[in-house]
Amino acid sequence: MRAVFAGVFARLIRVGLLATLEIRRMLVNRGELAFGLALPIVLFTLMYGAFGQDVAFRGVAQVVDLDGGVGARAFVERLDALDEISVRERTFSDAERALERSAILLAIVIPDGFSEGLERGETVSLRLLQHGNGGDEGQVVAALARAVALGLRREAGLRTQLATALEEQEVTLEEIDATLTELRTAGPAVGVQLRTTGESNDGFLVRMVAGLLVMFVMFSVTLSSQYLVEERQLGTLERLLTTRMNALELFLGKFLAGIARGGVQSVLLLTLAFLTFRLGGVAEFGSMLLLTLFLLAAVSAIGLVIGALARTPDQASWAAAFLTTYMAIFGGNFIEISNEGVLGWISQFTLNRHIMDAMIAVLSLGESVGQQVGAIALMLITALLGLILARWSFRFSAAGAVA
Amino acid sequence: MAEDFLQVEQLSKSFGATTVVAEVSFRVQRQEIFGLLGPNGAGKTTTIRMLATVLKPTAGEAFIGGHALTTEGAALRRLIGVCPQELALYPELSALDNLVFFGRMAGLSGRQARATAQENLDVVGLLEVAGRRVETFSGGMKRRVNLAISLMNRPQLLFLDEPTVGIDPQSRNRIFETVEGLRDEGMTILYTTHYMEEADRLCNRLGIMDQGRLIALGSPQELKAMIGDPDQVTLEQVFLELTGRTLRDTV
Repeated sequence: MRAVFAGVFARLIRVGLLATLEIRRMLVNRGELAFGLALPIVLFTLMYGAFGQDVAFRGVAQVVDLDGGVGARAFVERLDALDEISVRERTFSDAERALERSAILLAIVIPDGFSEGLERGETVSLRLLQHGNGGDEGQVVAALARAVALGLRREAGLRTQLATALEEQEVTLEEIDATLTELRTAGPAVGVQLRTTGESNDGFLVRMVAGLLVMFVMFSVTLSSQYLVEERQLGTLERLLTTRMNALELFLGKFLAGIARGGVQSVLLLTLAFLTFRLGGVAEFGSMLLLTLFLLAAVSAIGLVIGALARTPDQASWAAAFLTTYMAIFGGNFIEISNEGVLGWISQFTLNRHIMDAMIAVLSLGESVGQQVGAIALMLITALLGLILARWSFRFSAAGAVA
Repeated sequence: MAEDFLQVEQLSKSFGATTVVAEVSFRVQRQEIFGLLGPNGAGKTTTIRMLATVLKPTAGEAFIGGHALTTEGAALRRLIGVCPQELALYPELSALDNLVFFGRMAGLSGRQARATAQENLDVVGLLEVAGRRVETFSGGMKRRVNLAISLMNRPQLLFLDEPTVGIDPQSRNRIFETVEGLRDEGMTILYTTHYMEEADRLCNRLGIMDQGRLIALGSPQELKAMIGDPDQVTLEQVFLELTGRTLRDTV
């Protein structure tokens, strides 16, 4: 019995040493280490740039003021005062050049006589210069500009009518303007209540964070598929197989190395995401980390299967890239896929679909990791089957003929 | 009569329809340096890979220290050291770390592995640069690290597959001295090479392989005597006489 335990212990030591070897090789290789640590930070920066801000519309109105009068200035100020829009003023020639080279897609030109027309209560018009259809942003900005101009026009009309009606009561234009300003700044005439159906902005953020994290973890397929191919190329695989290490220990060592390496990077990415987006507390962080590790186990094992079958690094890279792309597209990393239809059916055959659902349940619905039994079981079964398949496939490779 | 430490009996290996090693039989006595010679593609490396348990034989059997190759692979691996033809090193790690790692894989404790690694690096003349990364080494230095690793488990039978390919005379000489020293310490060595003078100097007995078959077996003197006066004939002449002058390019 003691001998059995000693044998098992010796095997575990070898597995640990092999896993540690990969980590040491990564630490020694400064370039690879810097890249490995920089990657989650870059991904996080992208995540923050894309989703760290308010997800409501924001646009820039490119304005050419050929009028320069009071009405034109009022138009620019009111446009700039909108939450959704900031104004950048340009000269006409500058705007034309920018449109020509597609630097901007739409410019709003306030024509000469705009202010005078408003003052007289006449119909005034804005000119819109656009490249193509003006783009989504341009169209929204143009619609808001029209609304502002219409408001100005109505206000001017009202001012003229009031002045005429109150002329006999000796009410001055200044008094009318003061009342109109008071009315305008008192707040919106109509209040708006927002009720979101489907995913809220928070839900959208959670999906994106989970999607990027899962995408990042899926890169581990490529890394772990290279472990064996690299050992084979270095010649160290054969050498290892002439030591006491057997093929199962070899695969377990590489498997653990894949989890450890991806785990370090995932912790970094998760920490940044949790600190910045305030996705939850320690419990949610722990749950997310556990789910990430389960996914890492599954993808590391799949990587080993690819590595056991591939004969060249290119073969391994292409197979891993194909698998990662397949899962990213059909697993719904960044878009919600319903359970209905062909896409819904296909997505059931991806790992990320299930782990994403579990992560979203943890972050959005406050569920615990213990409630994600289905997803966890799938990851563990995939990892186990992957290891068995990798070991089995290895028998048919030249280096694994005996082992 | 000296004990046979390695017995190879009718060993064969085929890949599909191609037979690479065909019914090869020979014996190597303890503390003997046995050379396997042959042109490219003769089957030398495949024979060594089978004996080192890396490739499964298609037919035949071998015994190393009494352990059968096909059924006692794990026990057999404890007795052998393998210095492969291609360098098998981790270039990012130091020479010492490479040796310690493979020592641990061979079952040594951390302390034992470190001590043995330092001894072996001293034997191959690399102790002073033990902490340097292997990727900064010259070809000759890497070859010597390759050899030092194969000695980590203190093997009773050492396979040396063309250990002196492409290295400077100084490194080659150091490897010769190391191999002779190991033999004197009681190690049995199976050595393959393309250099005839090397085989003549080091090997007690030689087997010449061609097209997967062992076509001649004997001491260097016995082989030379096959075609003329042993004092006049070179091993290279014997080799060319037996294997022909046709180029053997392997793909």
